[in-house]
Amino acid sequence: MGIPEIEDAGCLLCFGYNGADSHPIVARRIVRGKQKGMKIICADPRVTETARISDIHLQLKGGSNLALVNAMANVIWNEGLADTRFIEEHTKGFDEFLKVIEKYTPEYAEPITHIPADEIRRAARMYATTKPAMILYGMGVCQFTQAVDVVKGLANLALMTGNFGGPSMGIGPVRGQNNVQGACDMGALPNSYPGYQNVTVPEIREKFEKAWGVPLSDQVGCPITHVPHRILHEKDEKKRIHAYYIFGEDPAQSDPDLAEVREALDKCDFVVMQDIYMNKTGLYADVILPATAWGENEGIYTCADRGFQRVRKLIEPEGDMRPDWKIIADISTAMGYPMNYRNTEEIWNEMIDLCPSFTGATYEKIEKYGGVQWPCRDKSMEDRGTPYLHKDGIFATKDHKALFYGTDWHPPVELENDQYPMTLSTVREVGHYSVRTMTGNCRTLRNLEDEPGWVQMNTQDCEKMRLKKGELVKILSKRGYCITRCLPTDRVKPGATYMTYQWWIGACNELTTAKLDPISNTPEYKYCACRVEKIQDQEWAERHVRELYDDIRAQMGIDTGKGAEA
Amino acid sequence: MKKEIGSFVVGDSTKCTGCKACEVACFTVHNRKSNHVGNTVGTVTVPVTPRLFLTRFDQGCMPIQCKHCEDAPCLNACSKGAISRIDHQVIVDAEKCIGCKDCMQACPFGAIALLPYAKDGRLVAQPMSEEPKVFASKCDLCAGIEGGPACVRVCPHQALRLVDPEAEREEKNIRAAESLLLTKDWR
Amino acid sequence: MNYFVKGNPDLCIGCRTCMIGCVVAHEGKHIFEVDPDSYSFNPKLHMVKTARLSVPVQCKHCENPACMAVCPAGAISQKDHCIVIDTDKCMGCKSCMDACPFGAINMTVQTGKFQADGSEKKVANKCDLCYGLPGGPACVRVCPTEALTLVTEEKLGEAMEHKRMEAARNTYRETHPQE
Repeated sequence: MGIPEIEDAGCLLCFGYNGADSHPIVARRIVRGKQKGMKIICADPRVTETARISDIHLQLKGGSNLALVNAMANVIWNEGLADTRFIEEHTKGFDEFLKVIEKYTPEYAEPITHIPADEIRRAARMYATTKPAMILYGMGVCQFTQAVDVVKGLANLALMTGNFGGPSMGIGPVRGQNNVQGACDMGALPNSYPGYQNVTVPEIREKFEKAWGVPLSDQVGCPITHVPHRILHEKDEKKRIHAYYIFGEDPAQSDPDLAEVREALDKCDFVVMQDIYMNKTGLYADVILPATAWGENEGIYTCADRGFQRVRKLIEPEGDMRPDWKIIADISTAMGYPMNYRNTEEIWNEMIDLCPSFTGATYEKIEKYGGVQWPCRDKSMEDRGTPYLHKDGIFATKDHKALFYGTDWHPPVELENDQYPMTLSTVREVGHYSVRTMTGNCRTLRNLEDEPGWVQMNTQDCEKMRLKKGELVKILSKRGYCITRCLPTDRVKPGATYMTYQWWIGACNELTTAKLDPISNTPEYKYCACRVEKIQDQEWAERHVRELYDDIRAQMGIDTGKGAEA
Repeated sequence: MKKEIGSFVVGDSTKCTGCKACEVACFTVHNRKSNHVGNTVGTVTVPVTPRLFLTRFDQGCMPIQCKHCEDAPCLNACSKGAISRIDHQVIVDAEKCIGCKDCMQACPFGAIALLPYAKDGRLVAQPMSEEPKVFASKCDLCAGIEGGPACVRVCPHQALRLVDPEAEREEKNIRAAESLLLTKDWR
Repeated sequence: MNYFVKGNPDLCIGCRTCMIGCVVAHEGKHIFEVDPDSYSFNPKLHMVKTARLSVPVQCKHCENPACMAVCPAGAISQKDHCIVIDTDKCMGCKSCMDACPFGAINMTVQTGKFQADGSEKKVANKCDLCYGLPGGPACVRVCPTEALTLVTEEKLGEAMEHKRMEAARNTYRETHPQE
């Protein structure tokens, strides 16, 4: 499925995905779909813009995703709404799956999800009976310790209703970052070479060793979220990390439990930061390598629908910045492995020849067709790629069958308690991209939202604590605290709080937990216990926030003549 | 977050009966301390100097008072620096005022009057003269007086309203947005 | 008839691009290059978000505008299908703000202008349909979901005419079921 197909779906199940804030251009497709008569089921603990225009809003309790998904599967099966022929012909493991979901009746899920059983039934019926039905999921699924299980759970729903392998159906991850699909495609993962070729498979390793002329490790590498532990607590001297090369990433802002991240960056012997602007990680770097930004360099991005797209240079970079690929090539050369690429196409050609599923995606073809969706195996212009990975239910697995995979729901790791009675989930803000290394430097956006950001809280909770809109509050968890502004809203449920993660002062990752999903190694950003405290002396707090901001700007060498008019 | 603006009180001519309770209350609360004015007429030893003005016109009556303008003509016209903005409100310093009348002429609402200045229950005389000192008297939203504007509190017909303009604007915005739901299919 | 821009809550995703577009249209593109505190960021429309509603609200350019009636300075006038504020004449008395039933007018700081005591000068601010700017209302142009429409006399007239025709046809059909 591709993004443009969203608007032609009969039914959209939008799960833990807030398009309006994460990807307004995708949200546009959802709005258009609605205008064309598409039914929308939105599963989100907040009233998002999609929830607002949805036919059914499943306002579930945070951290209950799998209970809801399994209950929907339970209804679809028990009410005879499953596509038994599709299950029979194209899938495996359905009986085992049934055993798992047997107990997940809507009545069983109701106290876990806080959604009335009949509402779950209504949603399951709408999803199963409206064709074609598409699923979009976002970070509201992925940023939990039980994340991969929920993705599989959503895939189960699509499988049991035969919603795979055609236009406007299937299950679409709407990725957290621009080109995160491309980064994964290119092997920026601890376990694979480009093209999802596993590092532990000897033939694959040998292929790359031969191509590159160096011996390669057969061990899976270290995921980013394990790095602090490997620096701080690794007993085995050989496994301890001493040098950390970070580019296009700001772990001192974006990673959970920032106090631990800072300690790790502090203790790490050597930190290299390669980015387009100064950021929080840069404060801990021994070496800073200035890179060019989009518009100043060219290359290829992959869209969420596996489509390779060319990005082009608009302007010549000024000063001593260089494109990432040139910096890497120079460092490699200096370290004794010469890389003499003349342009990105040479790198691309080397890569596609080593990756069977990308081999046909030449620059020429991408240029001619505007984009090519992998797999594209043949260089001839006739092979235009693969719009549907599992076309007509012929799955891209060895036996062409899809596998049902059922798991039981478990609660998030850190639950509300007496000391920290509320929950915190980190979210996005439409005006700022990710950690705002880029957008934080757009002066006009600063006028729309500025430090120290907001904590969204239910109006009842605010009234209880006598908190007004815009008032500075302290928000704390077991790991740390920060100061931010209170935003009372009826779009969130009582007991829950939400913060966007890009602010330096209102840095919600001071609070988040570094507990990970065991498979994806993604942290549980969407759930931890917290407490909100009223600050009596607002004048002091305003001054304090301004001082903190000025201090960070001074450390970063940003013009300090004029502080933030918070 | 620095968008705050001054509040003000407005009258409603459809409710006002012209009883002048607002004027009396205004005078009373502003002169309790400085001129020992109490709750009865007998305690009043100085001229009654209200800071809002019951105004009769062809169709009815209503009190007129200062709007605490955000580019206040009175403030800008004052050569003595006797008018300034304190906590978003436009405030006259009676001690500094020399009675030049520029502010009166600048104000488009007629919300300022020159009235005798009294202290400790007695009129204050001008230096080198027998004539009493006067000052530009206008609404200060009962700054420093407990309970907020006295006029609003005493009006028997709720014909006066303290306006928090930005808060009211936001509320009206919400109503306007809700009404868009009714007209969205105008075509 | 005066024209006006209206938002459709079914299409709006609350992204506030309209507000940025408004400021850029009125202040000029230089705002991307100057200190954000050195100019006044004054969108002339207001994003309203309630529990179940997101939509911007702006001036309706009424035919008998309450704001114009109460202005003591004669700063509000009708020009080419549009109600506009002359900020040079405005003294910030807030009468218009109080009079407007839609909350379409707010008070905004005039950058670099001060009152006699040094305090900031604030004046009334509201949608002017991008009066005098090429291309029509910027908010309508920049909205990613096409949630904003410029309603003109012609468009509104057409819509009303269309509805009257429909009403007449429906009535006719009801009285002549055999046709």
